[in-house]
Amino acid sequence: MDSNIYLVGLNHRTAGVDVRERFALDDCCDPERWAVPCVGAIQESLILSTCNRVELLAAGKGDITEQMLQCWARARDASITNIRPYIYIHKNLEAVRHIFFVASSLDSMVLGEPQILGQLKAAYRKAAACRTTGVILNRLLYKSFSVAKRVRTETAIAANAVSISYAAVELARRIFGDMRRHKVLLVGAGKMAELAATHLLQNGVDEILVANRTVACGEELAKQFHGRAVPLERLTDFLPSVDIIITSTGSPRPVIRAKDISAVLKTRKNSPMFFIDIAVPRDIDPDVNSLDNVYLYDIDDLKEVVEENLDNRRDEANRAREIVDEEVADFAGWLDMLDVQPTLVELLGRGERMAGKEVARTLKRLGSRDENLRETLETMAKSLVHKLHHGPIMFLKHGDKHEEGNNTRISAVRKIFNLDSDS
Amino acid sequence: MMSPEVSTIFVLVLFGTASFCGIAWVRTRSVFLRRLGIWLTVLAFASQTLMLLLGFHKTMPDGLSAGAYIQLLAWFVMLGGIVVWRGVRQATPLLCSVPLCLALFAVSLPCLDAVVTLPASVQNSFYALHIGALFSSLGLLSIAFFAGLIFLFLEGRIKNKQHMPGFWQDMPAIFLLDKINAFAVLTAFPLYTLGIISGMAWAEPVFGTSVTGDPKEVMSIVIWLVFGVLFHYRLIMEWKGRKPARWAVCIFLLCLFSFVVINTIMNTHHTFIRG
Repeated sequence: MDSNIYLVGLNHRTAGVDVRERFALDDCCDPERWAVPCVGAIQESLILSTCNRVELLAAGKGDITEQMLQCWARARDASITNIRPYIYIHKNLEAVRHIFFVASSLDSMVLGEPQILGQLKAAYRKAAACRTTGVILNRLLYKSFSVAKRVRTETAIAANAVSISYAAVELARRIFGDMRRHKVLLVGAGKMAELAATHLLQNGVDEILVANRTVACGEELAKQFHGRAVPLERLTDFLPSVDIIITSTGSPRPVIRAKDISAVLKTRKNSPMFFIDIAVPRDIDPDVNSLDNVYLYDIDDLKEVVEENLDNRRDEANRAREIVDEEVADFAGWLDMLDVQPTLVELLGRGERMAGKEVARTLKRLGSRDENLRETLETMAKSLVHKLHHGPIMFLKHGDKHEEGNNTRISAVRKIFNLDSDS
Repeated sequence: MMSPEVSTIFVLVLFGTASFCGIAWVRTRSVFLRRLGIWLTVLAFASQTLMLLLGFHKTMPDGLSAGAYIQLLAWFVMLGGIVVWRGVRQATPLLCSVPLCLALFAVSLPCLDAVVTLPASVQNSFYALHIGALFSSLGLLSIAFFAGLIFLFLEGRIKNKQHMPGFWQDMPAIFLLDKINAFAVLTAFPLYTLGIISGMAWAEPVFGTSVTGDPKEVMSIVIWLVFGVLFHYRLIMEWKGRKPARWAVCIFLLCLFSFVVINTIMNTHHTFIRG
């Protein structure tokens, strides 16, 4: 490959938040202030700057890392020595592998999180708008998007929730499926309970009721969720009409007991109920879980679910790495082809030019102006050129790379067909 | 006309490949394999339907073949799977019913020449109603069985706060499984009742009495009574969740016992005898 691909960057593993803040380049990604201009040896560049990573990806002739670092340091009014302790540098296939890892969220702080792919797409759009991407980075970025899609489809890397509020929503979905016809009751107003209620609302729950000790606070919260406030003292009156109950009061004693729920279940005709108790001390009597069609998860249960999901994601990451390895090998094949491409184009171009001249000479000799005859001869000559060049083209594309290497094969073909002196 | 053996092997291969795709999908979670599994299942069902319409059973020995009986049951099981698949838009119930159909087809292959001797009045329309209603009911019961089994597994894991293995995460929600179970049970029981009544009506002129005390009849009445209890509790007492799921599983197992054991081992009007 004539050009090299380099990736220089720092992330949450190599640098603390203060360093990441200092060297962030999110304000240097527009055409007026593009931090890594395509001048000198740099032919293509892309900047990915998020809260957890700052990475510069570039393609160019020779070793371009120094130039990349200089650009970065200059953009942040720093010197290269300030940046160097925190950075990692990847070259060619290692850079390709790294960007595939990043796109697939295998390098993220929360394994499998979906935001990074969107951030990478946004970074690519900005680079494309600044016209700093070319053949190599365009292909690399599109490939990384497809790798990320493949990883998400073929592994369960993003399948399970890794936050407590999401874990609660996921459990609710496993119990009720479609959330549209289900109601939620929020008892108390803890932050985590609010977050879970927000996620449930985003998942389409029918209505959210809020029961709070302070009525004004409850009403405000209900307004936030487009729901309605209900008096905490009449909690049991509203239980039959709700399916998901999230509690987070500061009460020292349980506010919901098993005997209350037995009666509620009869009224509900045994329809399932899901209780999420995020309060400490707990708001719901643990015996509630022993009732048929009632499911109770407290904060420790949810934490355990999150831990298991994280373990599961780590297992899935191994499968994802195998996919990335396959895709890197595929991309390496394309990069090899990139060297061969100009020779292929020249070879066929030369053949077609010669064929064109011979067709013109033959037609002149025949003295014919018949368009059909000209078209037929041209088609035949082109077909001959392609058939005659099939062997050399296959040799260029698929010759034994380990034995010969691209350059040896390219120079052999160029010499045989006299491509360098034939103009 | 394709012979029963060849057509059975053809559909068997399709169900086998669809089952393989379903299992491979569970392992790899590949969307391609899931789609291929669905297409092969639909193709197998369509092929079997075509063969039934062409009347391949007419090429078999005199009387009704045990193999054809079993294949007809597989057809109703698959019909139930397709109805649920289209109804709830989940591939899992469909791909779950494929291995059962594969097993039924595999069992049917050596039984194609085992026939039940039928009296001359077999053409009676009550007989067609008897078979049609009972097999539709069995197909629906198989759906209730699968929905119940999956429900019991998933509900147990949610209740006991256990981790849900990868494949099970793709299963429908337990609320939906309970609804599928309820729908299957509430539809299957009237059909089962119709099957029993039409059987009795058909038996009257043939055997001179509606109830002959035949072991198959006794077993069917026992199943009908148990089924009736479940129907009553589902409909009137609003049973939901584990209890009706367990009952549905047991009733389907009783039906299978009646179909496989009583029809082949015991001496009844329904026994298949190898020709």
